[in-house]
Amino acid sequence: MSPHAEAERGSGGLAVPQARAAAGVVIDGGTKIAARDVSVFYGDKQALFDVSIDIPDRSVTALIGPSGCGKTTFLRCINRMNDTIEGARVSGVIEIEGKDIYQKSVDPVVLRARVGMVFQKPNPFPKSIYENVAYGPRIHGLARSKSDMDVIVESALKRAGLWEEVKDRLTAAGTGLSGGQQQRLVIARAVAVNPDVILMDEPCSALDPIATAKIEELIDELRENFCIVIVTHSMAQAARVSQRTAFFHMGSLVETGPTEEIFTNPRDNRTQDYITGRFG
Amino acid sequence: MPEHTVKAFSEELDALANEIARMGGLAEQAVIDSIAAVVRRDTRLANEIIERDAQIDREQREVERRAIKLMALRHPFAADLRQVLTAWRISGDLERIGDLAKNIAKRTLVLNQSDPIQITKGIERMGKIAAFQLKTVLDSYARGDVQAALSVWMHDEDIDAHYNSLFRELLTYMMEDPRTISPCAHLLFVAKNIERIGDHCTNIAEMVHYLVTGEEMSAERPRAKDDPTPVDPSSAAGV
Repeated sequence: MSPHAEAERGSGGLAVPQARAAAGVVIDGGTKIAARDVSVFYGDKQALFDVSIDIPDRSVTALIGPSGCGKTTFLRCINRMNDTIEGARVSGVIEIEGKDIYQKSVDPVVLRARVGMVFQKPNPFPKSIYENVAYGPRIHGLARSKSDMDVIVESALKRAGLWEEVKDRLTAAGTGLSGGQQQRLVIARAVAVNPDVILMDEPCSALDPIATAKIEELIDELRENFCIVIVTHSMAQAARVSQRTAFFHMGSLVETGPTEEIFTNPRDNRTQDYITGRFG
Repeated sequence: MPEHTVKAFSEELDALANEIARMGGLAEQAVIDSIAAVVRRDTRLANEIIERDAQIDREQREVERRAIKLMALRHPFAADLRQVLTAWRISGDLERIGDLAKNIAKRTLVLNQSDPIQITKGIERMGKIAAFQLKTVLDSYARGDVQAALSVWMHDEDIDAHYNSLFRELLTYMMEDPRTISPCAHLLFVAKNIERIGDHCTNIAEMVHYLVTGEEMSAERPRAKDDPTPVDPSSAAGV
């Protein structure tokens, strides 16, 4: 462990609960997610080793590292997706706004509404575009009337940069959209329930460069209001979209810091070797 | 550092560093020869230096071409990125050093048309220090030796001190005998050019420091205290 990374970790301490600042005013709203000594076991096999990291609000944090390094495992801890895997066990503490999300009193379903997730392959429901977005707000009781719901759907589609393309065919099937549009639909679906955090697991790896650019632009807009954590295999994408980068290797968090620093002057040799393409 | 998984990437970075080494060799020879030409009043050598400068300019364009290609096709990060950026900037300093040596050679041709001036010993000493600084900083680049780069950076003061004393000496000559004003003015520019070569060496030293450590050199460089030219007239000292 480099002294730099140590210092990074020491800085935040456990998150102080913070009132959400007025929308659009503060760019970096302090620590949103605080993880301490998070380990994950799948049966006897340990996949993640004592990961501690502070993830700031209203910014994009990229998790990078070679396949099997634990970055996706860590991402899935943040909305307790690992709960759904047989034999998976998580130890350590993850707090969102100072509240331990692994406490018994926390309902994982409610948590996953607050912590949305976007996957590698777009996975719209086999329903209309409108219903794809309305589904979440409906089950969480966010709309009192049809007109309420119309407002929510329109605003979510606008925030996902999809409204202009679909406003005349809201009843068409979501699965009939192009890959890039589907991915933005899924983001609209996540945004519709007004989450605190959006997790993205390689959201562009199935998309062409133009669709990728649109998603990246969207990510940049969304960070004004959300805490975004993105797993990506593309160094260039991590460099383009994130403000902070965390490098994972063999289940450990090796180094975390401002993205600019990680990509110009990483402290740890393993980070250096990975981002410059030297890992054998 | 281990090899890149994509071997051609490593080879292209090595080729870039080799290009800088070659260019550095040419610039170093130009500096050494220009000092010899002015001291020995060697017109033939001076003409040769002027001709050879085009080669340094070509090498610089080659460095830039390679750097652009690397950035466009390989997207270098971290130490690789620093290597490409510093090669680019060092090639600019070496090109300027070549120009300054060429300018010394041009002034040699003019100086050779009037009587010799006794001050050439001072020029020779100063030129030797500058050539040594250049050699040291090029070695520090080749070896990634931050300590050597730092020593170059610190020793630039010596060249400045020599320049300041030459400046004063030339003033007295010119006051004693107005007929020497023209050659003395040329010698003053020769001295100024050498001083500028020293400055480019410190630029390169800063690049070596950034290349190796990823950090900018932060400390203030020591300066000669009796600098007679607080307003830098260097813009007039170029080509």
